[in-house]
Amino acid sequence: MLKFTIRRLLITFPQLVILSVLVFIMGSMMPGDALSGLIDPSIPAEAIQARREQLGLDNPWYIQYRDWIFAMFQGDFGTSIFHQRPVMDVIGDRLMNTVWLSLFSTVLIYLLGLPLGLVSGRYNDSLLDNAITGYTYLGFATPQFIFGLIILWIFGYNLGWFPTGGSVAPGLEPGSIDYILSKINHLVLPSFAIALIGLVGTVQYLRSGIIETKQKDFIILARAKGVKESAVYNKHVFRNSILPIAAFFGYEIVALLGGSIFIEMIYSYPGMGRLFLDSISTRDFSVANVLILFYGFLAIVGALVSDIILSIVDPRIRIK
Amino acid sequence: MNLLEIKDLKVHYPIKGGFFNTVKDHVKAVDGVSISIPEGTTYGLVGESGSGKTTTGKAVMGLNHVTSGEIFFDGQKLNSKGKKVDVRDDIQMIFQDPYSSLNPRKRVFDIVAEPIRNYHKKTRGELVPEVLGLLQRVGLPPGSLYKYPHEFSGGQRQRIGVARAIALNPKLIIADEPVSALDVSVQAQVLNFMQDIQQDMNLTMMFIAHDLGVVRHMCRHIGIMYQGRLVEEGRTEEIFKNPQHIYTKRLIAAIPDTDVDEIENNLAFRQMVKEEYDRNFADHLDEEGRAFPLQSITETHRVALPVKG
Amino acid sequence: MTEKLLEVNNLTTSFKIGSEYFPAVDDVSLSIQPNEVLALVGESGSGKSATAFSLMGLHRKARIEGEVNFQGQNLLKLNEGKMNKIRGGDLAMIFQDPMTALNPLMKIKQQIIETLKIHNTKAKNEREAYAVELLDRVGIPRPDRVAEAYPHELSGGMRQRVVIAIAIANRPKLLIADEPTTALDVTIQAQILDLIRELQDDLNSGVLLITHDLGVVAEMADRVAVMYAGQIVEVAPVRELFKNPQHPYTRSLLNSLPTESMLGSKLHVIQGVVPALNKMDRTGCRFAPRIPWVPASEHEKNPKLREIADDHYVRCTCYKNFSLGSETPQNIDAEEYQIETGARGGSVR
Repeated sequence: MLKFTIRRLLITFPQLVILSVLVFIMGSMMPGDALSGLIDPSIPAEAIQARREQLGLDNPWYIQYRDWIFAMFQGDFGTSIFHQRPVMDVIGDRLMNTVWLSLFSTVLIYLLGLPLGLVSGRYNDSLLDNAITGYTYLGFATPQFIFGLIILWIFGYNLGWFPTGGSVAPGLEPGSIDYILSKINHLVLPSFAIALIGLVGTVQYLRSGIIETKQKDFIILARAKGVKESAVYNKHVFRNSILPIAAFFGYEIVALLGGSIFIEMIYSYPGMGRLFLDSISTRDFSVANVLILFYGFLAIVGALVSDIILSIVDPRIRIK
Repeated sequence: MNLLEIKDLKVHYPIKGGFFNTVKDHVKAVDGVSISIPEGTTYGLVGESGSGKTTTGKAVMGLNHVTSGEIFFDGQKLNSKGKKVDVRDDIQMIFQDPYSSLNPRKRVFDIVAEPIRNYHKKTRGELVPEVLGLLQRVGLPPGSLYKYPHEFSGGQRQRIGVARAIALNPKLIIADEPVSALDVSVQAQVLNFMQDIQQDMNLTMMFIAHDLGVVRHMCRHIGIMYQGRLVEEGRTEEIFKNPQHIYTKRLIAAIPDTDVDEIENNLAFRQMVKEEYDRNFADHLDEEGRAFPLQSITETHRVALPVKG
Repeated sequence: MTEKLLEVNNLTTSFKIGSEYFPAVDDVSLSIQPNEVLALVGESGSGKSATAFSLMGLHRKARIEGEVNFQGQNLLKLNEGKMNKIRGGDLAMIFQDPMTALNPLMKIKQQIIETLKIHNTKAKNEREAYAVELLDRVGIPRPDRVAEAYPHELSGGMRQRVVIAIAIANRPKLLIADEPTTALDVTIQAQILDLIRELQDDLNSGVLLITHDLGVVAEMADRVAVMYAGQIVEVAPVRELFKNPQHPYTRSLLNSLPTESMLGSKLHVIQGVVPALNKMDRTGCRFAPRIPWVPASEHEKNPKLREIADDHYVRCTCYKNFSLGSETPQNIDAEEYQIETGARGGSVR
């Protein structure tokens, strides 16, 4: 197991290097550099040139790349041109918001999706199953923002149960009970909007997994042993049916951590998706570069997590 | 005249493993098999799962790579590098499972006509009478032409498989467990009819099977395979009446017989052979656990006996 | 007369095809005594596996009528909870395909312990040791290591031994073995048959052996019941059945085997095919269409099983003047085509 993980990490490493090189080259091909936005027209050109040299901006790309990487290893991700703050600070707030939103959405997806899929697969072609699969088709067909808007309209504006925007009510002291409750309160609508659409894949995967598994011979053998029907499903069918979902877990988390631009826009929730969009539209490449690298890193880690989870759940692919 | 000659065929697959996923070892699926099949006869290749019998058949068909050795068909070497001898229309295969070897979305006409279309440019008008003739030959009525495989029973499907296999007038047929998925009564139909076809068309056949009773019924010569090597080879009656290799003895003794008078004797004999097998089998293998090379004990009968001395 | 372990009366198991129910098992009655092996023989679609599944209560979507009396109770009348106490306990089953019969995600020992737990066979702290003991009992080398293994790490023969270990874990009174060796190589088959024989002797249990292999029947059975198209057509002690088969189907089947005496000659072929479940004639002799040279007057209108000699039962009167008939060409007539609906008895659960 450890060996498997180490080998996977070793394979992962070159992928990250290639990704970072690509990101860096693309970034340096963009017009302007970190200095362009800071230039005061009254400063003489020689001074700017001197500053450039001092910052190493005239060095060949591979030297700059090395410096960039070294700096990142020391925790210096550069400065956002647009925000005039360290990139890490800019991303940090947003990242925490997105982590919370992802966490809530993930929990909701599995909390709602797994029982629905289990019921749907166990009693397939029943009225209940038809209703659930009907919903999943609706979910596949409906864009997330429509769902988000409907929920916002019903629970935010009409019923007024939850706030319609932001990530926390203003004026609360960070860390206080009220602050945390307000945070949670702000998460409810966007996380439901994400989960209600996000769960349809889980439901469908689990449903077809269960329908396939429940006619396998070992399920019949379990019944022949005298295993209760509820245990047949909860113990034998379920575990064998969640393999594809387990395999997707890593990717799912990564997709959520990337942030959902639509949901963040609709609920004016300050998350990663909006940050990425903004950084591109304001040409804030120091932020965009780091974000792209971060997404790439996540994708690779997600694949690794998926593989590790799968190898834990399924002894057949365990590496000896 | 031997239509098919296999000389020292080896098919090895690498096993990868270790930290860098390098080749650690080889699975010797087929490890030095030589077989000659005279024209117009049926050769039975028998063995248990994993013995390499199917791999041998597939190697002749060119369906898997050959590590070393030579395969001659009608005097031409099949597996030479560079120029490929095209004999694919002369060698055809019949598969084990009539339920999965036919494309469920194709009609019988298209299934049977497919090999003809691959080699000859023919119009539909030319193909229809040809396919009808083939169907008649395998005992299917003309009405089957535009039906789909699922509309037929297992035995009928195997007939469709045979019609496809003989469409190009092949000289050699490789039948890989052609009846093991069928019921006894259907098996009888297919076996009878394969014998008929073979005689009518003077076909040469390699009959791969695990069922010794079926092989005995169908074949003039039999080769017994164990872990990629032949352990015994000879005329059918030699193998059955006078088995020499302990593995052959055990295989034959293990077949349950329907003669109720002999049950006690058979069980006792099986037990005896098994004890002999457990005691002596290791002596029948060399240091690497491979069967010894075959030695002739009569003109036709060859056995992998331990080298004396 | 010794007491019967199992007595099945008029068992009829029907499956729904379209909007109608069709009986895959039709009015089957049979009985098994302690320490007796009854073989149920037939080809695919004969209803032999459907019979076994009905006895075990493993059909989910079938209509089952009749009586299955086992240890003084009619199993068909029991609720799920009571049935679960019997299944895997006094009534256990061995399955056809060992490659798929074990849960791939559970260790071997967990799969054995599960059945010990359900039937409360051993105290909690003894179960693991007993699981290893069972593995040893079914002839698995290094049982302590195999207990910790997952199914994919074992060969087919070893897996079948595990399946058998699960079946005998609670010392069943009746063992149902559904084609226990069909998926195995012949040398492994011999070992597994030996093992079943030995365990049966040990436990003094009855065995219902379901198979299509007449050689296995001859070796294993005390009595044989032959099934065709959902009905039992002949029942007899094993010697009697092989020495003196009566029903035309039994005789045809025995003659279609490529045995030593058939060398050099054509095998007997039974004309036509087994009728599909939903295309079957419900009245008259079901085998009649496959022996068309026998005149209708030889058949009964409503064929019943009759005792024709001591303990030897045959259905229909057509056996009386039956001869196998000459070798007929095996061209298949158009009306013999059948649309397979996927409802062949053996495959419906």
